[in-house]
Parts: sequence; C-alpha cells; structure tokens
Amino acid sequence: MWLKFKASIQKEFLLLIRDKAGLAILFIMPMALVLIMTLLQDSSFKAIGEKQLPLLIVNHDADTFGLRIIEGLKSSQFFKVVEEIEGQKLDEKALVKQVEDGNFQIGIVIHKQATHAIRESVKRKIQGQFPDDELFELDPSMTQVPAKVDIFFDPVTKQSFKQVIISALRQYASMVEANIMFSIYAQMFNDLLGVSVSMDEEFGSMVVFDQQYASTLKSNTIPNSAQHNVPAWTIFAMFFIVIPLASNIIKERDSGLERRLRTLPGSYSAILVGKTMVYFIIGLLQAVFMLLMGVFVLPYFDMPALNIGNAYAPLLLITLAVSLAATSYGILLGTVATSHEQSSIFGAISVVILAAIGGVWVPTFMMNDLMKQVSQLSPLNWGLNGYYDVFLRSAGVGDVLQNLLLLMAFMLSCLVATFTYNRLKRKT
Amino acid sequence: MKPESYIWIENLSKRYKNAKTDAVHQLSLGIDQAEIFGLLGPNGAGKTTTISILCQQLTATSGGFYVNGYHHQQEKEKIKKIIGVVPQDIALYPQLTAYENLRFFGNLYGLKGKILKSTVHKHLERFGLLDRVNDRIEDYSGGMKRRINLIAGILHKPQIIFLDEPTVGIDVQSKTVIIEYLKELNKKGTTIVYTSHHMEEAEQFCSRIAIIDQGLIIENGRPAQLIESYENCQSLEDIFLQLTGRKLRD
Repeated sequence: MWLKFKASIQKEFLLLIRDKAGLAILFIMPMALVLIMTLLQDSSFKAIGEKQLPLLIVNHDADTFGLRIIEGLKSSQFFKVVEEIEGQKLDEKALVKQVEDGNFQIGIVIHKQATHAIRESVKRKIQGQFPDDELFELDPSMTQVPAKVDIFFDPVTKQSFKQVIISALRQYASMVEANIMFSIYAQMFNDLLGVSVSMDEEFGSMVVFDQQYASTLKSNTIPNSAQHNVPAWTIFAMFFIVIPLASNIIKERDSGLERRLRTLPGSYSAILVGKTMVYFIIGLLQAVFMLLMGVFVLPYFDMPALNIGNAYAPLLLITLAVSLAATSYGILLGTVATSHEQSSIFGAISVVILAAIGGVWVPTFMMNDLMKQVSQLSPLNWGLNGYYDVFLRSAGVGDVLQNLLLLMAFMLSCLVATFTYNRLKRKT
Repeated sequence: MKPESYIWIENLSKRYKNAKTDAVHQLSLGIDQAEIFGLLGPNGAGKTTTISILCQQLTATSGGFYVNGYHHQQEKEKIKKIIGVVPQDIALYPQLTAYENLRFFGNLYGLKGKILKSTVHKHLERFGLLDRVNDRIEDYSGGMKRRINLIAGILHKPQIIFLDEPTVGIDVQSKTVIIEYLKELNKKGTTIVYTSHHMEEAEQFCSRIAIIDQGLIIENGRPAQLIESYENCQSLEDIFLQLTGRKLRD
C-alpha cells in the first residue's frame, strides 16, 4: 500500500515538473492574479474608507471662522484641502468652473466678514437678554447679514460625502460661535465684576469618541485592501487547481491508464490518494507564495502590506482545509466530467460563481441581505471568513472551527460522491 | 458452479447501461493452464468486454468465473496478483521515460530496489530498448511504445497474461519480437489469453481459439482441427468469414 502510494506521488510529481505550462498555470498566473486584482481593487477599498477626497476652498474671511474651517478640514482624514491651483489663488468663479468641469467634487466659498457676522450675531443675541443696557456698540451694517458659506457639489458626489462636509462645517461654525460667545461673556465679567476670566484655550469637543473594532482583537491590525484581496484571490487561485487536476484524471481515463491501473493488485484509491496528495501540496505552496507576496511584494507597488497577524495555527489549519476542499472538488469534477472541455468549462465557471457569491470580488459586507445569505453556501466564503478571522481578528483555533468543519464537510461530500459515482459506473 | 478449468467462465453476461442487447451473452468457456488462447471476432463482438471482465475492469451483469480456482468476486485480489494485463491502448505516461513508466508499474506490482532494476533492465534488453531507457515515451515510435506497453504488464511474472490486440498497428519486427517472447513465456508455463483481428497470426500463435460474435461463442477449438473440419476452408480467416459473414461491422 505504502509503495503504491509513494509510486503515485513520485509519478505525479514528475508529470507536474515536466509540464511547464501547467506549472505556470499553478504558480505564476495565480500570483499575477493576486497582484493585479489587489492593485485594481485597492482604489475601490480606498474609496470606501481610506482615500481623501480633494476639496477646493476659497476663503475670503481672514478671521477665526475661515481659518477654523480650513484647519479642521485639513486635519480630517476624508478631505484633501486645495486652496490654489498651479500656484494661483482662486476666486469664486474659478472655483465653480473647476467643480463644473468635474476636476473637484466639492468647492467651498467662505464669504468676507463671515467671522464678523457671527460675532455681531452673537452680540445681538446677548444684547437681547439685557434690553435695558447698552452692552455693545453694534455694527449697524450687519443687521440682517448672516455668516455665509457657499458649497458647490459635483452632481456625482455621493450623498454620504455631502453629509460629511455639511456636518463638519456645522460643527466648526458651532465651535466658533461658542468661542465668540464665551469670549464676550468673559469680557463682560471683567467689565462688570472686575473678575479676570482668561480664555487660554478655545472650546473643543467635550466628548471623546474612541473608535474601536468590535472584535476580540488582540493585535491592532486595521483592515485594508490587502487583507481582503490577498486571501480572497489566494483562495480563488487555490480552487482553480480543479482544472489541471480534473484534466489529469480525464487524461488518465481517456488514455486507458485508469483501466490498466484498476487491474493491478490493491485499491485504486491508493493511487488516487497519491495524486490528491501532490495537488494538495501544490495548493499549500500556492497559498504560501501568494501570502508571502502579500507581505513582501505588495508594498513595492505602493500598496499596504498584508499583515498576517500572529495566529499561525489557525492560519495553517484554514489553509490546509481550503487546499483539501479544492483538491477533492477537482477529483469529483475529473471523475464525473466526460471530456476535457466539459471539465475545464464547468470547472472554471463553477469556481467563478462560487467566488462571486463567496465574497471574493465584492466583499460580503457590501452585499445585500439576500446575497449575504447566499454567500454562506460557498466554500470559498468559508475559507475567506477563516482568513478574515485570522488576519483581522487574531482568531484562535476555536474561532475558525466552524469554517474548518464546513470545509472538511465539503471535502468529504466530494470524496463520497466520487466513490459512489465510480462504483455505479463500474457496475454499468 | 465449480471450476473445471484453469480459467472457468460460466454463463457470463454483460449489458451496458442503455444498451438494448447484451455485449456478452451467456458466455461459457474453459481455458487450460499454459494454453495460448485466442479470442477472435469482428468489431463489437464482445472480445474486449470479456477480457475486461476477466481482468476485473468491469463487473459482469450475471454469471461468473474462476481463475486458478479463485472466485471472481470473493477473491478479486488473489486474481489480480496472478494476472498481467496488456491493454489495446498504449496505457503509459507519455511525459515519463521508459524507465520511469516501468518503475511506476513495477512499484504498483510490489517490485522495488535491485529486483525491480534488474527486471526492468532484463526486459528492456530483451526488447531492444536499453539504449532508449531514458527517453520519454512521447518520443518513441509506435512499435517501441507497444513493446513498453507489453513489458509494463509482465514485469511481475504473472501466471496469466491477458493481451488485447497486442500487435495492432506495428511493424513486422516489433510484432515478431513480441510474439516470440510470449511463446517463450508460454513454454515456461504462462497462460496467455489474447484477442486479435490478425487471423494468420492467431492461427500460428494460438494453441486454441474461440470465435465470438454478438456476444456469443460460435466456434471453439484448435486452429488446425477447425480448418480440417470446415470444408472449403483453407485458413482460419476463411472459417471466420464463413461464420461471421462479410457484412461490415461498426
């Protein structure tokens, strides 16, 4: 039995290393696929959470309000503030033209004396509380003039971005109003009571918003495009092993080799297990190469490196399970398909469909509820969730157990179906 | 059923899925030890199906057989150990060399180490292929492939060799060396069961033949005796045509 198994592994290994095109399909093409897809999808991921939206701004208010808006937007992670183009300050007309032409999605014009208008407005509100006294000398020209900010949007601007910019501007205006109000009251205390109230610090937010990921996160890994794309396309490529494996089985059947092998002493299963073992190891090597590429090669293309975390045992288990699931699917396909054409077309399309519904192309968190449910039927989704658990949540073996069991159940189903099909076929 | 011959087949039938008739129908036959038995018939007569069932490649629909007293279902593994199979197809790995192919099949028969090496060497030398041992099968001629195909089935010195058209499509030299070697093995006691379309070859090579058509055995006997028993027939081919007709077969 052992000799038969060893002979089968030796034979498959020799066949593989002599098939240069096959090796390219198994190693070079998947690595290129991971690299290209990660590069392509990187921009989409940045649009979701990382990319800064260029924002054009013309500030005619050389005072607190205008400066606070610019300072606030610049410190925001969402916007890249542009105040001049090609070294030239812009006027309102030029700003509108830039947005109209689609060069910028958002343009903001802060009008002259906006801070002065806020200050006058605050003074009038305070004065209204003390009608019998004349607390301030009010500017008669500012009676009905509110502080004005014009916002120009490109029609394609996402509603979410519009809400973000309006909320940010409202927040800055409120902070400036509060600061002005406090400084006026401070001055009043000085004048009326002779108590010195200083205002060394401006009002900021009095609430701290501490953002954290809702998980048993042991490491501080922040999900990025590499953390989705590298494992997703690695699993996709590992499942593509079904095509050369199925083709190998069909070739053996068509050439009469399978019939010959069945006449030999011992079970044909030992030969099949030897074949499976070689492709299983190929799957593991594919995963190792592609994950290493995520760690070491992606940064050379100005992309974030894959952070594989430190949960090595679950990482190994999930990789083993994905490779076993892919290999057993290949054996089933090679057994059931009647021709190379059938196996390669069905194999490719079925893997693409399983990848699509499994969240390889579009992550499941971006899917609608129906597709989220459907995605749970795909073995590629089980593998991907396992990798997410390992890379993003530093999961332990127990945490990936459900996905491991699902992948193993898939593998067993494929092998039982293969065995049953072979038995029935020999009888007929 | 009790075996009365070395290979004893009784009422063997095989009907393929969706077929309207049996490929082999109620076939009963006995083959003695150390015989060279030829199973002859036109295309689709049931020769390959019969051999495939005897080699355990296919399961019979009904009936059964014994080989060396071993029951076809209960002692499958014992049968597999004493038989060698040389299929009609060149069932070898084209990307592997002759040595790698023979090492693989030798290992599957349980041969290893020095014994395997010397056995492979001896056979390659006998078949004039020693200088091409490290060439890939895909670079071999048709006759060379056939010779390696034969060696792969006899490396383990089987007691019975099943050959399905072993000399089809090869040159006279290759055919001669194959037939001569099989005769040598037979002299040492090996039983040979072989199918062929070459009536002249079968007439000279076989100690006994059976003509099969439409899944039924229609004649069985020693070639010389059969030729003698049929009036107006000068050869096995004449008898074959008389029994199976001149109508073209698929």
